[in-house]
Amino acid sequence: MIGWLIGTNHKRIGILYMVTSLAFFTVAGVLADVIRAQLAIPNNTLVSAHFFNEAFTIHGTAMIFLFIAPFGFGLANYLVPLQIGAPDVAFPRMNAYSYWMYLLGGMTILSGFLTLGGASDVGWYAYTPLSELHVAGGAGEDLWILGVTLTSISSIVTSINLIVTILVFRAPGMSMWRIPIFCWDMLATALMAIMAFPSLTAVQFMLLLDRHLDAKFFNPAGGGDVILYQHLWWFFGHPEVYIMILPMFGAISEIIPVFSRKPIFGYSGLAISGVAIAGLSMTVWAHHMFTTGAVNDPFFSAMSYAIAVPTGIKFFNWIGTMWRGAITFETPMLFAIAFLLNFLVGGITGVMVASPPIDFHAQGSYFLVSHFHYVLGGGSMFAIFASLYFWWPKIWGVKLNERLGQIHAWFMFVGFNVVFFPMMLLGVMGMPRRVFTYPNLPHWGELNFIETIGAAIITVGMAVFVWNIIVSHAFAREKQPDDPWGAGNALEWATASPPPEFNFKSLPPIRSKRPAFDLHYPEFAKDSPR
Amino acid sequence: MQPATVQAGELRSVWEVFVTAGIAVYAIVAGLIAWCAIAYRRRDPAVRQGAAFHENKPLEILWTVIPILIVIGLFVKTYIVEAKVEYVAPNPGEVVDVAAYRWSWRFVYPRHHLALDGTTTAPPVLVLPVDQTTQINLTSNDVIHEFWVPAFLFKRDAVPGRPSTFDLHPTQIGTYRGVCGEYCGTFHAGMDFSVRVVSAADYAQWLAVRK
Repeated sequence: MIGWLIGTNHKRIGILYMVTSLAFFTVAGVLADVIRAQLAIPNNTLVSAHFFNEAFTIHGTAMIFLFIAPFGFGLANYLVPLQIGAPDVAFPRMNAYSYWMYLLGGMTILSGFLTLGGASDVGWYAYTPLSELHVAGGAGEDLWILGVTLTSISSIVTSINLIVTILVFRAPGMSMWRIPIFCWDMLATALMAIMAFPSLTAVQFMLLLDRHLDAKFFNPAGGGDVILYQHLWWFFGHPEVYIMILPMFGAISEIIPVFSRKPIFGYSGLAISGVAIAGLSMTVWAHHMFTTGAVNDPFFSAMSYAIAVPTGIKFFNWIGTMWRGAITFETPMLFAIAFLLNFLVGGITGVMVASPPIDFHAQGSYFLVSHFHYVLGGGSMFAIFASLYFWWPKIWGVKLNERLGQIHAWFMFVGFNVVFFPMMLLGVMGMPRRVFTYPNLPHWGELNFIETIGAAIITVGMAVFVWNIIVSHAFAREKQPDDPWGAGNALEWATASPPPEFNFKSLPPIRSKRPAFDLHYPEFAKDSPR
Repeated sequence: MQPATVQAGELRSVWEVFVTAGIAVYAIVAGLIAWCAIAYRRRDPAVRQGAAFHENKPLEILWTVIPILIVIGLFVKTYIVEAKVEYVAPNPGEVVDVAAYRWSWRFVYPRHHLALDGTTTAPPVLVLPVDQTTQINLTSNDVIHEFWVPAFLFKRDAVPGRPSTFDLHPTQIGTYRGVCGEYCGTFHAGMDFSVRVVSAADYAQWLAVRK
């Protein structure tokens, strides 16, 4: 126990990150169920407007700041040193610091529920002037600002750590053109994070100063500008979307080749497209502001469309990896294919909302809610489950039950689409987001009720997942080999499951992009891309 | 169904292009994924490796160039329509100043010295003459709100300290639902209004009665 509290080993920090993020995911998931229960029927009075507003604010905040992004950093903390053949990250103590700042930030945000006025209820992007109106009795909002700032500092620190680790700590033979795509995508993510998060830290301090010292940054009556807040927020906020999805692109790029029994297709295209996405993501922020009438719509629209190109390259490379493979459908692959099908919807609707004329109707509606859930839920969350099943035997030395895993995957895929596809229709029909109730217009009741059934299906799926963890660990008999899936490519599959404290007793020779596969199947080593 | 305004007709043409292209792209890509999953499933458990097929330059160039051409096409369509929708006529037939506040709307007809206020329980009605351009000057008295009429496929933020102007040119007589599209606090959900588009004669009569 003490070891976990004071430990600096990257695997322990990685596990702490991932377990903590799943705990916050549970909180955010319960809040999502509250939202869906309230919206199940028109004119519902199950929860108060005030509690509903707290629920969606903390749901979004927890999913974004406390679940998806930290899970990616946790997975990277665990995997990056293993994949590049290093004994640990570059700055282990700083790594521990980043984890504890993240935990403290998360607890600070949630502690808002314990204050008299309740938690923050101004939405996850806390637009001014709304976020400045609640100074009286609004300790929950201050706790939210402080908590978000702490997680921001945590992300900057862990990103610096990852960049240095990837650039400096690679084993002999592990050139930049041999590191796994997950490492490339984490490098791109970390570069984005150190550019984007300082803007978040700055804007939250400005908000705090405005709230308590009347600094007038965002107060039009004092010469400040409401739109300035949005620029500073989204300069962070849009890269944040890619900070949540790029690590998962990386994870998918590790999983699909293993179950297709092929080297990854188009390695250089995948590596470069990740960096291109990171670069372009810094130039699109104002597409969140098309309806303000205060930004250069065509420029930000064009840059947003451009991101579709490197994203498309990644997609086609994943399909190219499956092409002429020998594919099996274990749970990680099932989740990976579900990721492809869901994220495709998120990507296509993403190109739609990059168009200002579409945004003039879709922005702020359930169409947009559907779009970003297809990206972050159908995309990132499904990839997170694919990753959990895929690396579980490596991390714990125990494989999760395959039958329960398949049931979990199907419940999630069906439930997810039952929740989020009807939202697209409701958005086009004119349902705004963030409403605690809605009138009984034609089909609104039915579609919302269907969505709530979908939420119940997802909840059952999650119960199956928890049951799976319990059952798999209780009945674990055989020890997992180094390469439990039998076709591992990257170096983590060339050491014990779980790996020893400093990762490798001895490193295999690194002569290609898939050293573990070469070690286990020397007869196929000639086919490995160099 | 006929578009409710001239601008909505333009906007709908963008939706039609994007939805058609989106469905086509989804069908092709999802079809490829399904094809791979079925055609290249492992039939013999003894197989340890699929085809050693991991790069193909012409293919990679092709799937970079085609998306570039698609998004250029989409951008051109977007650019043309946005310019039309955001065009503000120099001599509008009518002018309405719209002010949003927590949690309702104030519609002021400056040419007629007429002001209408609403509440969440008695939502206000914005009356517009059909087949005429009405210029809307939008602002907010407190936080950011958003003027959204779903039937017009159009919304615009009401930003305090930053007034915004746009034109509406209704073509269909009828009553349309209007809502606040930007979350503005506790009773955001109740911040409704209606838009009633009436004939020129009815409009003149309505003005006479209200004055």
